Amino acid sequence: MTTIHHTRVQRATLSSRIAMSIGIVALVALVAMPWWATSGNIRWAIELCCYIAIAQMWNLLAGYAGLVSVGQQAFIGVAGYMLFVLAQNFGVNPFVAVILSMIAPAVLAVPTYFLLRRLDGPYFAIGTWVVAEAVRLATSNIDYVNAGAGMTLRVMTQYSQHEREVAFVILCAILLLVTIGGSYWLLRSRHGLALTAMRDNPVAAASQGVNVGKLRFYIFVAAAVGTGFAGAIYYMAQLRITPSAGFDPFWASMAIFIVMVGGIGSIEGAIIGALIYFFADRLFGEFGSAYLIVLGLLTLIIALYARGGVWGLLQKLGDHPWFPVRRKLIVEDIS
Amino acid sequence: MQWLDAIVQGVLLGGMYAQYALGMALMFGVMRIVNIAHGDVMILLSLIAVSLAGVLPLGNVGLVLVIVPIAVGLGWLLQKFILNRVVGADPLPSLIATFGLSIALQNLMLEIWSADTRSLPNSDIASASFQIGPIYLGLLPVIVLLCAFCLTGGLDAVLRYTRFGRGLRAAAADTEAAAMTGVDPKRIYATATAIAVGILGLAAIFAALRATVSPSDGSAQLIYAFEAVIIGGMGSVWGAFIGSMVLGVAQAVGLRIDPGLGILFGHLVFLLVLATRPEGIMARKK
Repeated sequence: MTTIHHTRVQRATLSSRIAMSIGIVALVALVAMPWWATSGNIRWAIELCCYIAIAQMWNLLAGYAGLVSVGQQAFIGVAGYMLFVLAQNFGVNPFVAVILSMIAPAVLAVPTYFLLRRLDGPYFAIGTWVVAEAVRLATSNIDYVNAGAGMTLRVMTQYSQHEREVAFVILCAILLLVTIGGSYWLLRSRHGLALTAMRDNPVAAASQGVNVGKLRFYIFVAAAVGTGFAGAIYYMAQLRITPSAGFDPFWASMAIFIVMVGGIGSIEGAIIGALIYFFADRLFGEFGSAYLIVLGLLTLIIALYARGGVWGLLQKLGDHPWFPVRRKLIVEDIS
Repeated sequence: MQWLDAIVQGVLLGGMYAQYALGMALMFGVMRIVNIAHGDVMILLSLIAVSLAGVLPLGNVGLVLVIVPIAVGLGWLLQKFILNRVVGADPLPSLIATFGLSIALQNLMLEIWSADTRSLPNSDIASASFQIGPIYLGLLPVIVLLCAFCLTGGLDAVLRYTRFGRGLRAAAADTEAAAMTGVDPKRIYATATAIAVGILGLAAIFAALRATVSPSDGSAQLIYAFEAVIIGGMGSVWGAFIGSMVLGVAQAVGLRIDPGLGILFGHLVFLLVLATRPEGIMARKK
């Protein structure tokens, strides 16, 4: 007597369906913000979206591709500057320019990767920092972009506040779709399997036929573009950019803090970490350096004792992924 | 003549950078760890030295005798409580841990010493200079360079000829195999870090004598040390020394071209070396 096994691959879980519904509601609420929220709250929402996106991109780099970068501010700055130059000096519509400005980080990321890939793990990290510093110093010496004094986005005055807010929330929604949605899509695809294998052991992954070098290159460029997009939106909302702000190493510190506290190597971790950082910044930001000492020590303690971060601790309580990337084989007996 | 002067001043500046770079080369060579807080630890030692000099009449030599042991102790603590837990094949934990430490240290120093720039009280050495041909040389920078030279030579000799040096090279090549032949990697690591931070203690005093220090200066020092190590060639202490000279000269020449370009020139030379000779200028042929 033979039994016929009917098998199927299950990916969604109850928790993921709930998370997806909450995600869609949150996205709709975000886009509707100009009609229900105050301008101050919208500014906060823009900031939070940028934090989530930048952290998610860093998570993809460090958590999956094994490329620890402390120079992501290079991509934030160049994208911001390209936006300002296009909109202010060339008269391009700023909302078109913000999309076009994703070209700059991509163009910078390609030579950066080929130069730095020769460096060993920890040296790669400081190498990215040197590139960011070099770009910052170069920018401070270029009179065309007003050198160290920075640029102001005066063209934004031709739009009413409401128009601007509507455009910003739509851009933020796209940003989240591209960075979180894109990461989720990537991790669920064939490349996601390769990336997860690389995260766990790059040498073993290579022996299984994963082209580690090529995949790392693609991830590096993609993360640069995503980070740059967030940077362009952020400085568009700020209406002002200077070399010391746009290329501030604090951007890297922030991404590292968010991902480490939230939980590295998971999409959920970056979101949790960004929320924690955002509210901590609102509550304790006024304490200045004392607050930053705590942030630094927290990062240190997590690296030493709890590498999984908050998401890692939650996982120990029960397996309820928001963005499941695993495949589960369900065998149903039909006799 | 202006360019010869720039090159000479660059070499002297390189002496300072060599003192930052030696410790980093040593630690990376042995443990495959880069301590992101490297520069911040140096600044911390400088600020402690400045504060001590304000309270106790130690003189510069006395200050060295007090600060270097403090530095060695600090290195030992760093190794014992942080680095020993993150040594491993994966670079991420050590990077993140020392990155967190760097942010915490920088802001701690900001709380204690505020953002003001400080330096050690002006002494005779700091302002003395002498003339060779048409070029004026500061006495202090020359002493710094000579110290860097002796430290490099001494460290190289220790690595080559002593029991500790052999153990260290063995641990660097293959930790497990070294452990099997009776080398205690933990002890080697602790000694290496203590030496590295001890050298920083000396560098800290020179830095505070030569110019000013402020709590946020650490990351720049880290980057210079790192660039020197890469330019010279990883895994060689003389490489770190030569790399420091190249970096110093690049910065001094850039500075002569335009005051805003000095540091940028250093970065560009670093990127150029990375593009054309990634194994560094002093690396042995394989």
